[in-house]
Amino acid sequence: MSDGNPDVMDTLAGLADESALAALRRQRPDVVRHLQGSDDAIFAPAHHGGLTRPEREACALRVASLLRDSVLEEHYHRRLVALGEMHPLNGTRGECILAHVDRVTMDPADAAKADIDALLTVGLSPHAVVSLSQLIAYVNFQSRVLAGLRMLKGAA
Amino acid sequence: MTRPIRNFTQGELDWQPWLAPVDLDAATDEQRAALKITPSNRTIGAYSLVLAHDPEALEQRSPLYNAIMFGPKGLPRAERELGVVVASRINGCAYCASVHAKRFAELTKAPEVMRRIQQDGVQATLEPRQKAIVDYAAKLTRDPAAITPADAAPLRAQGLSDLEILDLTHAVAMFAWANRLMQTLGEATTPAREGNPL
Repeated sequence: MSDGNPDVMDTLAGLADESALAALRRQRPDVVRHLQGSDDAIFAPAHHGGLTRPEREACALRVASLLRDSVLEEHYHRRLVALGEMHPLNGTRGECILAHVDRVTMDPADAAKADIDALLTVGLSPHAVVSLSQLIAYVNFQSRVLAGLRMLKGAA
Repeated sequence: MTRPIRNFTQGELDWQPWLAPVDLDAATDEQRAALKITPSNRTIGAYSLVLAHDPEALEQRSPLYNAIMFGPKGLPRAERELGVVVASRINGCAYCASVHAKRFAELTKAPEVMRRIQQDGVQATLEPRQKAIVDYAAKLTRDPAAITPADAAPLRAQGLSDLEILDLTHAVAMFAWANRLMQTLGEATTPAREGNPL
């Protein structure tokens, strides 16, 4: 599924199949393949490890809004709506997860071991903690790739 | 004994996980498969073993990292490292900044550039092409929403092709990812066994 054309990044950047920028991206076939592969692994894993699909989309939505990336916000909002569970991050667990999303996105250098311990305490498995970390970091990556593609598209 | 580091160095560094790494003897087949390809050439370290808790994500991220940092042609490797050092400094990741400053120096035989960046940060006086790369890397790291089509002009003026600009974008973005994993799943430490410049 990772060699589909257009992929999630083309769609988000608004790149048509035959556009010069879509072709430029394909000069880096391994980047295209594993970027889509990462998106699939992070948002539709075979084993979610305790971090559910709606929780994943809601965390991504939070990162997108912290970065003021309206295209990404719309993307994750739409996927959350499609899952039919608009507010999956509730209670102590949800608050702890959201606090981690905010910290890792905005102040990664301020993270501490206590933050990981807190996630374990509210019931996240080690698998879920790593999935959450990968997800937050991935959306931060994704927003920057998207910003670069938009820049090149606008400057064509 | 180890101690946390907050400054930037070219000395040897280590990384201490905050989450118990996967025990290689007890690893699942999927975790073993995901660990086969790692971004570094060294034996499997604590960092990869922590990431192996989510083997599906790791299995994709390692080849993505390699494709971005080592893909042929396009932006010279040293200039990818330059973008990565800037991102890592701004994100506060001493470990990443130090490792990649060293790679840059090895590739260019120009340690002076990294000395200037270590001393003066992204305001360091550099040759125009390096300056354009540093400025774009800094802006993309700090606030991707602020990037506009006008930001491509200084890069193009220094002769960067669109493929090179895409490569730079990928490298800087990859460290928005890597710096966040490194700093939030554990911390860089400096081994106390020998005299370290810190």
